[in-house]
Amino acid sequence: MKAIVTLSFATVLAIVLATARPALAHHSFAAEYDDQKPLKITGTLTKVDWMNPHVWYYVDVKNPDGTVTTWAISGGAPGQLMRRGITKDLLVVGSTVNVEGFKAKDGSNNGFGQRVTYQDGRNVFTATDPVGRAPQR
Amino acid sequence: MMRTSLTWLLLALAVACPCGLSLVIGLDAQQAASPAGIPRTADGKPDFTGTYQWPTYLPGDERGRSSATVFDRKRFAPLKPGGEAFLEPRTGDPRHDEPRDFCMPAGFPGGMLSANAMQFFQTKNHLVMVHEFQRMSRVIPLDGRAHRKGLEPMYYGDPVGRWEGDTLVIETVNFKRWGLDDYYYTNPKEYRMHSDAMRTIERLRWKSPTSMSYALTIDDPKIFTAPWTQEFEILAKPEWEKDGIFEYVCEENNRCPGGKCGNEK
Repeated sequence: MKAIVTLSFATVLAIVLATARPALAHHSFAAEYDDQKPLKITGTLTKVDWMNPHVWYYVDVKNPDGTVTTWAISGGAPGQLMRRGITKDLLVVGSTVNVEGFKAKDGSNNGFGQRVTYQDGRNVFTATDPVGRAPQR
Repeated sequence: MMRTSLTWLLLALAVACPCGLSLVIGLDAQQAASPAGIPRTADGKPDFTGTYQWPTYLPGDERGRSSATVFDRKRFAPLKPGGEAFLEPRTGDPRHDEPRDFCMPAGFPGGMLSANAMQFFQTKNHLVMVHEFQRMSRVIPLDGRAHRKGLEPMYYGDPVGRWEGDTLVIETVNFKRWGLDDYYYTNPKEYRMHSDAMRTIERLRWKSPTSMSYALTIDDPKIFTAPWTQEFEILAKPEWEKDGIFEYVCEENNRCPGGKCGNEK
């Protein structure tokens, strides 16, 4: 089983690296996210909504004062991700993840996740190429 | 006999000048027999049943910033006086600027160019195009019927198909005024709106056993001085057939209508 999981990650990584222009749908990156506001967080993955029009996953980040900020991170449409070999079970609730992407324009704790990795460096998925080629709605 | 004479005339033109040569090449491309090995139905028509990638660009055409395919402006015919409304600026009202933010339909042709899988089903009398994006479904009669009368304008229009040799020609009319494509993600000042007078012609033919030519003509007399055409490629994706197309219910979890996400989970 472990070998299968390892292969899945390797496959996903290969797909991600090979896909220079991954296709995303529905969201207007330009309307909702600011490519001048990079987001880089590490926290606990608490929930995954693998639903249309975009997947959303939630990450709890501990602040220096002990409080917790929940970030909601958007990705591509489930169908498009699945066709690239990226499935819901790659996002394991309870695990610690690093998320790189961009913050929402409205100042809320929402973001667009470009890249998700685990602590050991394994790549979970990459949602789009740098500075978000605007995903469509 | 007449055809032979025409061929000799065109050959003479080709020898005489490069423009004649172009003309001959153009006609050859139109009249060329389909390549061997293309899928065909029992009655000998080209068979477009299958799973496909969305229409993609030919080399050299502009790609924009969207993951969707968009029209290349250099393909446009000149705008008519008064046709400037085609390039509406954003107004700041997301219901105007980005109606799909509220799960409104992409319409045709914009939805057809979205970066999702497509599945086609062909019978003697119909071609059904199902696009994963918004689960757009187009049912195209092939039985020679005319367009329906008295319908309200529609996002996807009223299509009918006919065969010209091995090319399926689909004419669609009766559109609602709506966004033409996704170019506003590339340039917010170019929100391209087609008019309610738009008529589209799609020409679909196999150019190899795994690749189709998809030429899309926009005839919008309220906006353009003439019809114009952009050709795309549609690739067969038999490897996608095991999964088929996935569900796409935009309303399921549209967290950010109008770009307002809020902080609620």
